[in-house]
Amino acid sequence: MIVDFVQNTLDGIFVGSSYSLLAIGFTLIFGVMRRLNLSYGPSIMLGTFAGTLLFVEFEAGLLAVAAATLAGAVLAGVYVERVCFWAIRRGAALASMVSSFAIWMQLEEIVTVVFPDRTYPFPPLADFALEPGPFFVRGDHLVMFACAAAITVLLHLLLYRTRFGLALRAVSRNPAAAAFVGINTGLVLFSAFALASAIGGVAGYLIAAADQQITPFFGLWATFKGLIAMTLGGMGSIPGAIAGGLLLGIIEAHSGWYLGTEYRDLSAYAVLFAFLVFRPGGLFAQRQTLRSQLAARRV
Amino acid sequence: MSETLLKVSDVATAYGAIEALKGVSLSAADGEITCLLGPNGAGKTTLMMTIAGILKPRRGSITLRGEEVAGRAPRHIVERGIALVPENRLVFPDMTVEENLRAGAFSRDDAAEIGRDVEAMFTRFPRLRERSAQNAGTLSGGEQQMLAISRALMARPKLLLMDEPSLGLAPLIVEDIFRIIRELNAEGTTIFLVEQNAHMALRIANHFYLIEQGRVVFDGTPGEVEEEEIIKRAYLGTEV
Repeated sequence: MIVDFVQNTLDGIFVGSSYSLLAIGFTLIFGVMRRLNLSYGPSIMLGTFAGTLLFVEFEAGLLAVAAATLAGAVLAGVYVERVCFWAIRRGAALASMVSSFAIWMQLEEIVTVVFPDRTYPFPPLADFALEPGPFFVRGDHLVMFACAAAITVLLHLLLYRTRFGLALRAVSRNPAAAAFVGINTGLVLFSAFALASAIGGVAGYLIAAADQQITPFFGLWATFKGLIAMTLGGMGSIPGAIAGGLLLGIIEAHSGWYLGTEYRDLSAYAVLFAFLVFRPGGLFAQRQTLRSQLAARRV
Repeated sequence: MSETLLKVSDVATAYGAIEALKGVSLSAADGEITCLLGPNGAGKTTLMMTIAGILKPRRGSITLRGEEVAGRAPRHIVERGIALVPENRLVFPDMTVEENLRAGAFSRDDAAEIGRDVEAMFTRFPRLRERSAQNAGTLSGGEQQMLAISRALMARPKLLLMDEPSLGLAPLIVEDIFRIIRELNAEGTTIFLVEQNAHMALRIANHFYLIEQGRVVFDGTPGEVEEEEIIKRAYLGTEV
C-alpha cells in the first residue's frame, strides 16, 4: 500500500522531471515574449525525427542521435521565432499564437511526408534498472531526472551569473527599459528562443529514448504537457515550471495507478481546471504591481 | 553661448494615425540644463522616447554633436552618449539594485571601470549601497528615482535625458533630486529635463522650451521672461 504510493510518487517525479524541462522551455519563451508558442512541441518533435533518421538510416550512435535531436529542435525553434515572433511585432500576441499554430500544422505535415510510417523506433538510452528495497527505478528515468536537475542548475547560473542572463531578465521584465540601457533586445529574444528550443530538444530526446519510439503526435503531446505544467506552475516562472512539471507527473502516476490509465490524462485536466478556477496564477503566481504593468504598457 | 550638443530639427512622431509630435525643433547646449515644459499630453515623453530611439520619428533629424542619431536603435544611441531616466523610473523591479546598475552599463565592456562606477554610485547615493542586494521593486519611490538616475549614469552619458524625475515624490525628496541634477550638471553632464514642476525646473534651467500639442510654442531664458505666465501655460496649456 504505502510501497505503491511511494513507488508511484517516484515514478511521477521521474517522468515529471521531463515535463519540467518542457515547461521550462515554454515558460522561457513566454517570459521574454509574453506570447504563447504553440509550435513548441512540434519543433521538438521534428528534432526527435532528425534523431531517428540518423538511427534508422545510418545506425548512428547515442551521441549522434542526441545531437541531431537537439540541432533539429533548435533549427525548427529558430524558424518558428523568425516566422511567428520576429516577423510579427510586439503587441500582436494573438497573431503570433495563431501563426504558431499554423507552423505546427506545417511541421507535422513535413514530418508525415518524410516519414510516412507513423511510428518509428528511437534508440534506448540506458538499459538498466535499480531496485532499492521494494522499489524499482528505471535507468533512463534516473538519467532523465539527472539531466533535468543539471539543466535547472545551469539555467539558474546562466540567468543570475552572466551578462546574457542579466539582459534576458531585463528584456522579460521591461523590453523598452532594456532597450534604452543598451541591450539588443531582438538578439536576446532570438537567443532565448534558441535556448528554450535546446532545452526542449533535451527533453524530447530523453522522452523519446525512454519510450523507444516516436510518432508525429509527439508534438501535440509535448505542447500539451508543457503547457499544462507551465500553467500549473505559473506562466513565465521557472521555479513554477519545475514544480508544475513534477506535480503533473505525480498526478498522472497516482491517477493512472489508482483510477486506471484511462483516467490519467483526465485527472491531469481536472487538476488544471481546478487551478484555473481557484488559483489562475499557478503555484508561483507572478506578482507584478499594477503601476509597473501600466508603466511597461505605455511604451 | 556654448556649443550645441543635441539638436532636434522638425521631428514628427506618431502613434498610428495620431501625431504626437508635429515638427519639433530645439537644441540643448553643451554643459547646460535645458528644460522642456508643457501640459500633459503635449508630447514631452514622446520626444524623450524619440530621442532615446524607443520611438522612431516619421521625419526630422536628431543630432548629437553633429552626428545623426534619428531612427537608430536605442543601443546605438546609448553608445553615442545619450542615456534616459524614464518617466515612472522603470527600474527592473525583480533585479537587485546592483544588477540594475550593471544593466545600465550594458553598452560598455570595460568590466573594471564598470565596477569602479558602481562604487562611485554607491558613494554618491549611500542609500543604494545599503540596499545593493535588495530587489529594486522594494525601494521607495525616491530611492527608485536615485537608482534610475544612477542606472542612466552607468552608461557615462554626455547627455542625460530626464523625464519627470520629481513625479510622485515627496517635496523633500524633490529638493534632493534637483540638488542632484545641479551637481551632475556642475560635474559636466549636459541635462535635458522634462518637468511638470515648472517652478523648480525654471530655477535650475539655463534655457527652457514650452511645448503644446506637439509643437514648441515658446523658448527663452528663465529670468528674462514673465515666469508666472510661462508656468500657467506649462500647467494648463492656455494661450498667452
